[in-house]
Amino acid sequence: MNSAAVLSSGGAAWVLFGTFFLLLVLRVPVAFALGLASLPVLIIEPRLSPMVIFNEMFKSYNSFILLSVPFFLLTANLMNVGGITDRLMRMSRALVGHFPGGLAQINVLLSVFFAGISGSSTADAASQGKLFIEAQVKEGYDLSFSIAITAVSAVLAVIIPPSILMVVWGGVISTSIGAMYLAGVLPGLLIGLAQMATVHAYAKRRNYPVYPRSTFKEIIKSTFTSIPALMTPLIIVGGILAGWFTATESAAIAVLYAASLSLFYYREMNLKQLYHAIVETGKLSGVALFCVGTASVFGWLLAYYQIPKAVLAGVQGWDLGIMGTGFLIAAAFLVVGCFLDAIPAIIIVGTTLQPLAAAAGMHPVSFAIIGIVALAFGLVTPPYGMCLMISCAVAKVPLKYAIKDTMIMLVPMLSVLVLIIVFPELPLLLPRWFSPDLLK
Amino acid sequence: MTRFLDRWYQLLTWIMAVTVAVLIIPVTLQIFSRYTSLIPSYIWTEEMSRFFFVWMVMLGAMIGVRDRLHFDVDVFPDLSPHKNAFLRLVANALTLIFTAVVIWWGVEFTRFGWNQTSELADLPMWLIFIAWPLTGLSWLLFQVDHFRSDWRDFKNPNLKRTTAAGAVGIDGEKHE
Repeated sequence: MNSAAVLSSGGAAWVLFGTFFLLLVLRVPVAFALGLASLPVLIIEPRLSPMVIFNEMFKSYNSFILLSVPFFLLTANLMNVGGITDRLMRMSRALVGHFPGGLAQINVLLSVFFAGISGSSTADAASQGKLFIEAQVKEGYDLSFSIAITAVSAVLAVIIPPSILMVVWGGVISTSIGAMYLAGVLPGLLIGLAQMATVHAYAKRRNYPVYPRSTFKEIIKSTFTSIPALMTPLIIVGGILAGWFTATESAAIAVLYAASLSLFYYREMNLKQLYHAIVETGKLSGVALFCVGTASVFGWLLAYYQIPKAVLAGVQGWDLGIMGTGFLIAAAFLVVGCFLDAIPAIIIVGTTLQPLAAAAGMHPVSFAIIGIVALAFGLVTPPYGMCLMISCAVAKVPLKYAIKDTMIMLVPMLSVLVLIIVFPELPLLLPRWFSPDLLK
Repeated sequence: MTRFLDRWYQLLTWIMAVTVAVLIIPVTLQIFSRYTSLIPSYIWTEEMSRFFFVWMVMLGAMIGVRDRLHFDVDVFPDLSPHKNAFLRLVANALTLIFTAVVIWWGVEFTRFGWNQTSELADLPMWLIFIAWPLTGLSWLLFQVDHFRSDWRDFKNPNLKRTTAAGAVGIDGEKHE
């Protein structure tokens, strides 16, 4: 503890969190609220000055790992304008179009494929919102169902590798990104299956339409044209595991691969679309990463006053065991995910909970997967759920309109989270199999 | 004023696009230099990409203010259009405090880097640190502009709901 500090841990915590939540209520953007909430403490404390803001922001941006964020977003944007998404959609239709609620099933399966190439859920929600919501309503699906299924399936993008959240997690809490990638596969696929089952149940009750079954020839043909696109996850994950390139470099490779597929193979992208994709990428990643900077300032102050230690001192006395700790971690991330974006939540809450997970003997990769899955669910929980906000914006309805269906769809997804907590070995299965060295 | 802001915005957008596109180059060089001797392995590629990255983030943050892209949490989704405009004015004023901090101490931050150079490529550090005061100044311009339009909304007695509650949804129906 910094003995000369003017504020106690408790006092600093009150000032920091009090100001932050007050500013949030007044609708100050999250990134600015985090920076502004740090200000009173920096001025009160004689040993600190607002220069901390600049040093910590610069330190957080001066990182090779975060570079992968714009690359992942660019890959997603290139997929959409370059015809890759269209090819994957045709294939999804051939595979699951004949299930009850055909178009909604395609919506979920396309998210699984998209997740394997892009690591950004917001990009998924934006592109699939445009592709599916209006089309589903025209076919007779309810609007709120269409919004909800688009939003909840978009969260797969950060669970199935590659994933922006896993890259950030690896950078902030030093955990092997390769191991997290492999560990995310099974939970991601299980959540996808849970969503398809949910669509099935809805479709049966509400008589949603079905497409005619595709012929075997159509399935083969659509799969064949999608193969180059489907190679992307293998290149990214395989390349990292084989040690060919780092996580950031793999994201750059994904951009080059998506760009060359779009420009030379599918040949559906012109230079204007390319420029547009680049500008969109810069805007979205700039805004998201700016928040990383101010969240780092906030997180630095929490650490300076040893607030995490004070919070955990109480909890550690409970002696929860691995499963209890898992539930506690999941609950913490689910609650925080309602109010914060996932990246600042990792920086502030992830680092706080890490000693707790370590003390309980939880594997760092299990901890990461529980945290990331819970935070992914936070992308659709109000009041601050980016994917749900984007889907509602595409549909031009207020957020609360789609909340009920979203909550219903979250129940089967939460059961997958419970499964991971009760059987922490489940996500570790694939990493143990493919590269046990990564788990140490 | 508005025309100048449009120009400034377009310039920032264009520079940001360049930083995104250029980012790919050093990272790619870094990978290929490891596997072929045709490309010498430049030691400065990583540093270079990090510096472009800092600029990309700050440019994105500048543009984000004009486009109102910085995400906020909507705790009161059902406010009347007037109260909404009022809340926007309040939030804008509070955000302006942060802008002032970024300009004031940003200048000091830049001065602090005046005589420093980077570890690998020997680049002057003020080239990066100056991104902060410039970000603050751009925010100031864009926020003053927002202030004017929000004030006009607030004063307008016939203000209609434009987004969120009460608007017409994609299915052509109203969803209150």
